[in-house]
Amino acid sequence: MFAHGAMDFFYFIIFHGFAFTVVAGLLSTWVDRKVSARIQWRVGPPWYQPFADVIKLMGKESIIPEGANRVSFLIAPFLGFTAVILVSTIVWMANIFPGASFVGDLIVVIYLLYLPAIALIVAGSASRNPFGALGASREMNLMLAYEAALLFAVFTVVVKNGGIISLGGILGYQAVHGAMLLQGASCIIAFVVTLLCMPAKLGIVPFDIAEAETELIAGPYTEYSGVTLAIFKLTKAMLLFTLPIFMLTLFAKTVWTPWTILWYALILVFIILVKNVNPRFRIDQALRLFWLPVLGLSLLGIILAAVGL
Amino acid sequence: MNSSMLLWAVFLPIIAGALCFAIPDRIKWLREGFTAVVTLATLVIAVLIFLSPEMRFQTAELGFAPVKFLDFYSYHFSSFLIMFVSLFGFLISLYSMKYMEGRGRLREYYPYILLTVGAANGALLSDNFLPFLGFWGIILVALFLFTTIGSRDASPERIFDAANKNMMILGGADLALIMGVGFLWYLSGSLTLSEVSIPLHGAMAISAFVLIMIGAIAKAGAMPMHSWIPHMAEASPASVMAFLPASLDKLLGIYLLSRIVLDFFELNLSMSLLLMIIGAVTIIAAVMMAMIQHDLRKLLSFHAVSQVGYMVLGIGTGTPIGIAGAIFHMLNHAIYKSCLFLTAGSVERRAGTMDLAKLGGLGRMMPFTMVAFFIAALSISGVPPLNGFVSKWMVYQGIIEAGAAQYWIFLVVAMFGSALTLASFIKVGHSVFLGDKPREIGVVKEAEHSMRFPMVVLAVLCVVFGIFAQLPLVYFIGPVVGISFPAFPAAISWTGIWSPTSGTILLLVALAIGGLIYLAGRIRVARTAPLYIGGETTGEGTTDSLSHAPGRLTGLRDTRVLGTEFYDTIRNMEGLKRAYDKGEAAAFDIYSYGKHVFPISEVLKLLHNGRLANYVSWCLWGLIILFIVMASIG
Repeated sequence: MFAHGAMDFFYFIIFHGFAFTVVAGLLSTWVDRKVSARIQWRVGPPWYQPFADVIKLMGKESIIPEGANRVSFLIAPFLGFTAVILVSTIVWMANIFPGASFVGDLIVVIYLLYLPAIALIVAGSASRNPFGALGASREMNLMLAYEAALLFAVFTVVVKNGGIISLGGILGYQAVHGAMLLQGASCIIAFVVTLLCMPAKLGIVPFDIAEAETELIAGPYTEYSGVTLAIFKLTKAMLLFTLPIFMLTLFAKTVWTPWTILWYALILVFIILVKNVNPRFRIDQALRLFWLPVLGLSLLGIILAAVGL
Repeated sequence: MNSSMLLWAVFLPIIAGALCFAIPDRIKWLREGFTAVVTLATLVIAVLIFLSPEMRFQTAELGFAPVKFLDFYSYHFSSFLIMFVSLFGFLISLYSMKYMEGRGRLREYYPYILLTVGAANGALLSDNFLPFLGFWGIILVALFLFTTIGSRDASPERIFDAANKNMMILGGADLALIMGVGFLWYLSGSLTLSEVSIPLHGAMAISAFVLIMIGAIAKAGAMPMHSWIPHMAEASPASVMAFLPASLDKLLGIYLLSRIVLDFFELNLSMSLLLMIIGAVTIIAAVMMAMIQHDLRKLLSFHAVSQVGYMVLGIGTGTPIGIAGAIFHMLNHAIYKSCLFLTAGSVERRAGTMDLAKLGGLGRMMPFTMVAFFIAALSISGVPPLNGFVSKWMVYQGIIEAGAAQYWIFLVVAMFGSALTLASFIKVGHSVFLGDKPREIGVVKEAEHSMRFPMVVLAVLCVVFGIFAQLPLVYFIGPVVGISFPAFPAAISWTGIWSPTSGTILLLVALAIGGLIYLAGRIRVARTAPLYIGGETTGEGTTDSLSHAPGRLTGLRDTRVLGTEFYDTIRNMEGLKRAYDKGEAAAFDIYSYGKHVFPISEVLKLLHNGRLANYVSWCLWGLIILFIVMASIG
């Protein structure tokens, strides 16, 4: 990191990792709410509503349930939040200075992306609330469901580019050979698989199985309030922005062009449309969906990549 | 420093162990203190050996003919391993003081610890195959004897079964090892470990490789020679599990496997593929079994099998970084897995059970144990920046460097295995430390200091070896595989190999941002309130503070969600259900086949009539054959 000076590093983590991602993420949740409202023939909130929500939550008192594991209960929101900041820092640094990316940062990013889900599980489990515990169990099952397919999809890119496993290297490869998405059928399949996994990773309908308002009140979030809930909301919003940007880095050359906004908007609209026209899956249905057809699809993708298509 | 120090590292604990038998039961503090002091002394000797340059001790120089094979050789690989063997011996003897309190057969327990430490040091330092095999056998006997001590909740039949199974599987594997060594001796004409090096051509060399490999992976516990570990876990105290299958057996098994690949043979493609397949299958199959376990010890023991997969996979890649990753993972595994078994032992001591369905909500009362558990659990799941992440990452890097595009399958299997590992530790975390406390468990206390200390030391090692991973890599592992890892301060840079230290700085800054947001909010005015369960007041609560609340719905008395039911969806998924049913019926257990495949054992059973005279005569025959062999070599 000091190759670019300590100040650069702080600039990245504060500006790209945190401030920019928070603003973009909260705006994305506004787009989500507005578009959903229009689909449902409502007016929808003004653009600053998500910001107002977070600021208001920060001013509210935090309530800790009786008999909960206080330390774990308060640390859990932190865990996911920290991980998302790190992911967006690494992804943006790779995009702006491809040379600054380190070997295997792709693996680091994949591992860090586990953490928001773990944070949710620890939260639900530590709150002592039965709805929280049920939500935690569902979240873990869901993560196992989509993770295998997502891993195969991400490694399709690695197989296709001949074993380059750093984000900077993948961007460099794409700068020479064109976007990964245009490299053949295997990459298109892999991209489709990531699109299918994304709502599950983000916990959005039809895969909001862990929160499931109509069944579990709010799942792991049930006992959260005040600033702790605000941090969870921020984490979710940042993930809504960071995850598509990470996928675009892998599949669509670079995120540092005007096209990015269009690409990102397309993915966001896709997620919103899927959310508004589908009911929620049951956890066993989601498991079957991801472990049979989606995993099969991603396996097909990586086999095609291995034979050079 | 002279090379006789090597003898001390081996024979001090063995002789002390023999003396320890003589200490009468009444002065137990002496026996326990003696064990701790001797293991600590061994640790000091091991550190001195590690700090000195390579040393060689040859009995031939003494002119003492009968034991002329007893050669010892310490170099960077064996000397850092004996340091950890002694460290584990010390920590376990400290932990056992309180943990084993009031159990039977303690008069044997402590001498066995000393004996095992000495024999393990002997196996690691031996430079001749004959003493090597001898020490290797002593460790097996010690394991058998340890298993016969048994845990409190296991019936004598179960304990006997477990001990028997250990002896059968590991004894069989040791037989394979001896045959392999015989072939190797025939091919290379040397019994000196540091001299043997042959190409892997021809049926004989390949048989030798496979036979020695079987000996190594059975010790480490990779599939298909794994089934002794889960079986033993059900019938053994947690301290024994932490000492042998979790740490020492891993160190020894993977030490031998690395020696085969690094020194004895030059790995070829088909053997490399064989190792990688064993590794990948072990990772996935064992962790799938771990997920559905209800007994904490058994769950941990399946992870002890699963993690071996990463080591075998890393060694199978044949690339320096992959082998370095495997050796580092072996070290890390020994640290975090024994830490996990020790936390399980503390829970057992305080709550009286290791059944996950009967535990819960202990984190508030056992904060040290909980923190140690979570650090070790995140390590084993490979979460950055802990040590498990660094070594797994190196194994992945090894797979990528091994070249072939088809190896992606191993990479994905290994990474998905990490996700499954995480899942099953989430289940443990919920069932034991978080979640809700069952009414059967009253107020419990944190474990005693002598039990806390080993857990804390191991948890701190997990963090240090993760954040400052360069430390073990530069001083322990780099020299073994011939990679010079960048030391401090060059290691703190963005570029090049994953730099754990800068990753951690990044993490700290991100944590600080989160902390500022926390402080900006009104976190300090947090207040506590009863649980919100659909607006209903819960009845008789499960913790004491709630038991005064007036219940409106008696049906809501028990609001506990059992962690053991977390993965029932996966357990009952079509397709997987059949595999699980078979797995629970021991269809994948080599031991259950062995019984049917070897009808010859029925004949051999006749020889075992329980008369001492017969056994002594067998020993005599064995000795005579041994003498003839030795005389013909000499």
